[in-house]
Amino acid sequence: MKLSVALLALLAGPLAAQSARARLEGRLPSAAIPAVDSLVQLAFQEGLPTEPLIQKALEGGAKQVTGPRIVAAVQVSLAQLRDARALLARAGDRPPPLPSEVTTVAWALRRGLPAPVVERVVAALPHAPRAAAMHAIADLVAHHFDPDSAAGLIIDAVHHGLQRERLLDVSTAALHELQRGHTQAEAIGLVRQALPNVPGPPKPTRGTVAGARRPGAAASP
Amino acid sequence: MNTIDPRIHQALDGDLPLEGVPAELRPVVRRIAAAADLLAAVGPAVSLESRVMAEIRRPAPSRSRRLTRWLASPHAITFRIRPAWSLALATAAAVLMLFVARGGGPELSEHEGLAQFVGRFPDAQSVHVVGSFNDWRPRSLPLEDQNHDGVWRTTVVLPAGIYEYMFVVDGERWVTDHLAERLVADEFGRENSVVIVRPVRR
Amino acid sequence: MDVRGAPPDAEVVARVLGGDAEAFGIVIRRYEAGLQRFATRMLGSRDAAADAVAEGFVRAYRHLASCREPTRIRTWLYRIVTNRCKSHLARRSVADVPLDDAPPVADPSDSAAALERAEQLALVNRALTALSPDKREAFVLKHVEGLSYEEMAAVTGERIPTLKMRVHRAREALLKALEAYA
Repeated sequence: MKLSVALLALLAGPLAAQSARARLEGRLPSAAIPAVDSLVQLAFQEGLPTEPLIQKALEGGAKQVTGPRIVAAVQVSLAQLRDARALLARAGDRPPPLPSEVTTVAWALRRGLPAPVVERVVAALPHAPRAAAMHAIADLVAHHFDPDSAAGLIIDAVHHGLQRERLLDVSTAALHELQRGHTQAEAIGLVRQALPNVPGPPKPTRGTVAGARRPGAAASP
Repeated sequence: MNTIDPRIHQALDGDLPLEGVPAELRPVVRRIAAAADLLAAVGPAVSLESRVMAEIRRPAPSRSRRLTRWLASPHAITFRIRPAWSLALATAAAVLMLFVARGGGPELSEHEGLAQFVGRFPDAQSVHVVGSFNDWRPRSLPLEDQNHDGVWRTTVVLPAGIYEYMFVVDGERWVTDHLAERLVADEFGRENSVVIVRPVRR
Repeated sequence: MDVRGAPPDAEVVARVLGGDAEAFGIVIRRYEAGLQRFATRMLGSRDAAADAVAEGFVRAYRHLASCREPTRIRTWLYRIVTNRCKSHLARRSVADVPLDDAPPVADPSDSAAALERAEQLALVNRALTALSPDKREAFVLKHVEGLSYEEMAAVTGERIPTLKMRVHRAREALLKALEAYA
């Protein structure tokens, strides 16, 4: 597994370089492109995902931010990815970390989860993907749930056999209890008691599907 | 702690007439009152009179009968729920599972889902949604205000995953979607909204 | 049904205690709207609120003789319904969740006005959610149900200074949240 990833990385090297520049041309102030491109190359060589950096640069260009500010924002994004990778190593993930997991942990930190809590979740859930778990916990923290308690609930849910997107239903259920007038602690207790019985997501309204469209230039998440 | 002028509390507690509050503070009093009005406007409820009176007219069961009834009644009835209020309002960034594409609509793979965007921009000429799902291209995904009531919407097929986005109004004004439940700093001094698109099959 | 001109609470209570059970309907019609609204805020669901309020009325009828101040029956009813709501909350588990059909939800088929109300209600609810249930309850009783502090004390069993503090904190949190999106 590790070997083929490394081979792929070698093969994709020059392609990665070309595709970044091609995507940035005409979208950012041209003076900023070399600096952004260097940062993308650096990330690539360190085995970090490059897409978050390219997206950040495109975002800055679209928002008509100055070149230097775009470069600064991409540097921040790179630092976040490095922090994420370090956290994964501390939590016991064997290097090299999967790019998707680096992205997931970077997201979790951006959404305000304390690093120790993220580490705890990574250690408790040895198998990727952990994205849904992290976002479920972050959803609770955004509603003033204690991060450790929120993490405990989601970890319990995983141990009860709930996986991936179903974990979002667990946090939804806890938020529902909050709306009912319970405290955050009570909400967690109630949901925990009911595991694994947690309602699923709502069905879409009719006509929603019929009117759906695809974006012109869909980027990978 | 963000404390407000005590006279505002006194006015709202009824201990001070509104005239006793300095003119520049009166809008604060009105805002609280307006918020309370919103909460009060739940809409007409069904009358309970016939239900209660029917129960009253029935002879009260003996204690043992009540216990038997309690034991026999179902306590765990699962209904389809709508999400909690504030989450429900995130239809602006709704997480929808594809259900049935009967009668038309795009075919979705099992790794795709739907994201629905809604925003209220009554004076806008155009509204677009721009984010990491379309490489932040400002004009690629327009919303539509079909009945010209100022409510703009669109539904998009996307690969399952997590995305950041903002609305762009009239091609130039970037607006955070505040109905979205999840917000994150954009490193440019603003906040992006975040949507999680769930895949079809799971 | 129009209850103006109908007899005052004390007289209705006297009639019911004298054997005229049907007269209790006047009490129900007079207070059910406010009680249902309050219970909906506490329980987050109209159906659950209807259950709690209906149970409350039945209890009130059965224990009417113990209502010491018939002129203040509203306060007494609120206390009963508060207790019913707390009992519902304590009993309820996640798998036993009723349909939530309460306030304006941003259903895309709604009008612009409904969506605007929904946005503002979202802000208000978000601010209230961050508060403890005690502060939230205090705010709703004071500002939505319009109870006086004395009535709130009778309903909740808390001291007035405590209730005032809770209401003041709730207002401050609300303002802060509303200002953030001005």
